[in-house]
Amino acid sequence: MEEQGNRDLKAGNIKGEKRDRVLCPPMIIARKEILSNLLSYKFFVVLLLIVLLVATSLFIMHRDFGQRMADYQVIRPKPGDPIALVAPNPLAIFARGLDDAMTRSFEVSVIGIEARAGQASGNIIYSFFPAPDFLYVVRVVLSLVALLFGFDQVSREREQGTLKLVLGSSVSRAKVLSGKWIGNFLSLAVPFLLVTLLGSALLMLDRNVHFSSGQLWRLALILALSLLYLGFFLSLGMLVSALTKRAATSVVILLFLWSLFVFIIPNLGTLLARQFVSVPSVRALSEKREQTWTREVLLGIGKGGNWADHMRTISSENDQLEQDYRLKFERLVRLSRDINRISPAASFLDAASEIAGTGIGEESRLKREVIRYKDSIIDQLITDQGSGKRDAQYPAFLYKPRPLAEIFAGGALFDTAWLVFFNILSFAVAYVAFVRYDVR
Amino acid sequence: MIKTIIAKEVRTNILSFRFLVSFVLLFVIVAVTALVLTGDYLRRLDEYSQRQAELERYLRSYAHFNRIQNILQATQPPIPFQALVRGLTADVNIEAFDNDPLPVMFPLIDLTFIVTILVSLIALILSYDAVCGEKEDGTLKLMLANGLARSKIILAKVAGGTLTLIGPFILSVAAGMLIVILHPRVSWAGPDWAALGLIVAGAVLFITVFYLIGVLISSLHTSSPSSIMTSLFVWVLLVLVVPNLSPYVSAFLSPAPSRIKIAREVSRLTDVDRDELGRKLADERRREVLKQYPVLAERLTEAEVKKRVAEDPEYRKAYEADRAANQGAWNEANRIQGAKADVIRQDLRRKEEAQTGLARSISMASPLADFTYLAAELSSTGVRNTLHVGRLAEAWGRAFGGEYVPKKMAEMKAKDPTVDLWNTAVDMTDAPRFRYTEEGLGGRVEAALPPFAVLLGYCVVLFAAAYVAFIRYDAR
Repeated sequence: MEEQGNRDLKAGNIKGEKRDRVLCPPMIIARKEILSNLLSYKFFVVLLLIVLLVATSLFIMHRDFGQRMADYQVIRPKPGDPIALVAPNPLAIFARGLDDAMTRSFEVSVIGIEARAGQASGNIIYSFFPAPDFLYVVRVVLSLVALLFGFDQVSREREQGTLKLVLGSSVSRAKVLSGKWIGNFLSLAVPFLLVTLLGSALLMLDRNVHFSSGQLWRLALILALSLLYLGFFLSLGMLVSALTKRAATSVVILLFLWSLFVFIIPNLGTLLARQFVSVPSVRALSEKREQTWTREVLLGIGKGGNWADHMRTISSENDQLEQDYRLKFERLVRLSRDINRISPAASFLDAASEIAGTGIGEESRLKREVIRYKDSIIDQLITDQGSGKRDAQYPAFLYKPRPLAEIFAGGALFDTAWLVFFNILSFAVAYVAFVRYDVR
Repeated sequence: MIKTIIAKEVRTNILSFRFLVSFVLLFVIVAVTALVLTGDYLRRLDEYSQRQAELERYLRSYAHFNRIQNILQATQPPIPFQALVRGLTADVNIEAFDNDPLPVMFPLIDLTFIVTILVSLIALILSYDAVCGEKEDGTLKLMLANGLARSKIILAKVAGGTLTLIGPFILSVAAGMLIVILHPRVSWAGPDWAALGLIVAGAVLFITVFYLIGVLISSLHTSSPSSIMTSLFVWVLLVLVVPNLSPYVSAFLSPAPSRIKIAREVSRLTDVDRDELGRKLADERRREVLKQYPVLAERLTEAEVKKRVAEDPEYRKAYEADRAANQGAWNEANRIQGAKADVIRQDLRRKEEAQTGLARSISMASPLADFTYLAAELSSTGVRNTLHVGRLAEAWGRAFGGEYVPKKMAEMKAKDPTVDLWNTAVDMTDAPRFRYTEEGLGGRVEAALPPFAVLLGYCVVLFAAAYVAFIRYDAR
């Protein structure tokens, strides 16, 4: 099959030269790369993988979103209830992130905020494996695919002897490399974009999934970031390929780099950050809260003191606890982000999920807003309960996700720039390696 | 002859560049992970004892029976195995306001992860050209011309390849274990060692499965570049896709109603609907009672009723009958509505169990999921352990509610007969505490048997398939 592919390729090249005399050399090479990819077994496997995974993931996450939306309709607070609840984010179909935690209903009572995770499922298998959303497919699977497009670009052509021929025809090495990059990038990006856009268009046929124009922009940004991320892995593939003599060696190195970038650095990084920043566990925090309020309630009954005063003590002590925790936790998040940024996969995940509005930054902000909402009504709540007033009305909780400008200022811009930097760096090093490459 | 080929396989593998890279990487990552996870375990241990101390202080001064169930809870202490296998112990706690989002975004890394992702990848990297590579080099022809049975060649190849993989793996795990146990505060007991041994045995099976997949694919292809493409495709599906999709697919195939809807329905049944039914039944009963005791028809204020009950025995009898009828009606309403709610709850539980079972079966098509379950069950960080903790908590609850509370309350009454039993602070440092003990090894092994069997089945089937494919292989 491959021999036949090569024959077709040569034929295509000859025809191409006749027709494309006006095209500049990188474009000719890009064209050749695309044609040779189209005929290869590799492309067939990759295409199958992209179609299968993107389509399945969108279908399944869409269904999941529909169910969560139905749940949301059931638990929506009545007007006047002191409950903070935000609707599921349709972009969670693409980037699930922390949407589960964010769409819990936060009920404010005299002793503070209580989160109800009603949406939890009884199916424990969910907790064993991460959710297969679009970001997961891009971050884990398609990055591997991009590597496979790049891993044999230089070494394989050397092994086949075609590299000598290409370089013999007075085309500069920079042009050969960029032509290869463009050709392979297009062979990966075009099917990927086609499938994703088709899938998104199908999603929009469902009336329950309503994307605002702002969200469509965000989706476009996420797609652009995905392309940037995949471009990095393609360049990385070409880089390693230009550093090795044999394609078999380059694939081994690349697979290890891939597992390091995609899994090991981000996952070990968060654990490592915890060694440096000591943050109380969730369990410890909730135990402390329980101890505080039960103690104050007991004291309130025993001494016959002012009930409202005891409630205010609970509130202020919990606030103190919360403030302290938030401070430490945000330091932990910052540190683990900085460690994780060694890996572009973590940068990509952070930036894309923040843009989608399901990232760690957005979740922290929602919690801060919920706390502010609680602060604004807790006094009223205590007074009303103290005087035995029933069905009192409280202002509704309103939450607007951060605008894009704020998201970018909050780190997404850095992550994007970081990805661009990784791209340029790997391409530049690949160029240097290719210039020094021994074609024999 | 087999020995010669095995020795040759081992030697070529060990001398190859990919083996060197794999070994170094595996060794370093296992060591770093063991180090970081041990630190994490010790940090949790410290926090746990701190929490216990705080609890003691509370129990001494502020414990009271009305709200003690909010304070004394069944919490599991960290176990030493968490320095190797995390299982379900990640501290996400979605029920708490301050849930931890980091493990959701970046799942933790542990031995299970290293085996399932890294080692399986290494196995494929070493095996994708086992057959077609030899064909390309021309050595396959030579070997077959030597009058050697193909079955022997394939057996020797698999044996040699798996051996070269298992060696470095066990060495790396040993190094990791050394880091863990050299720490003075980590104590490993006998059953832990046995469980670790079984986990390593499972890992060996898992490695064999992936090596066989590589050999099988390699004997289906004539060129090694296309063989590695197919191998990686299969790897992606088995390792990265099937397990993650399984719960969603099973939710699609075997739907369970949402817990929120059920909770609402149950609260409607046992609240609004119950009140309605209760009132209706009470009215009916009252009419019957009125027929029997017409005296009750008179409208009296509460005080007048009290007076009359005290004075008139006839009226008192009627009044008591009325009260009993009313109580009976409400009990009846509670019973009927409770039964209805139970039916719904049981239906939910049944459907959820069916869904979980299906998700588990689908995911077990992936060797990754098999090994994950096996390691989690054996290290008591899995589903079975959750059930085990539930049972322990129940027994503790009985000891606390059934023995300790009445005893303590009797003591309180003996001291002061008018005391408010529920809302008086009393020193409860002598209360029975929840003590976590790991389940015996027998139960853990029992839970790990199905994934073990699936992995073994995979080995047998894949070996047979690889054998057939190799027999039909065109060596030219």
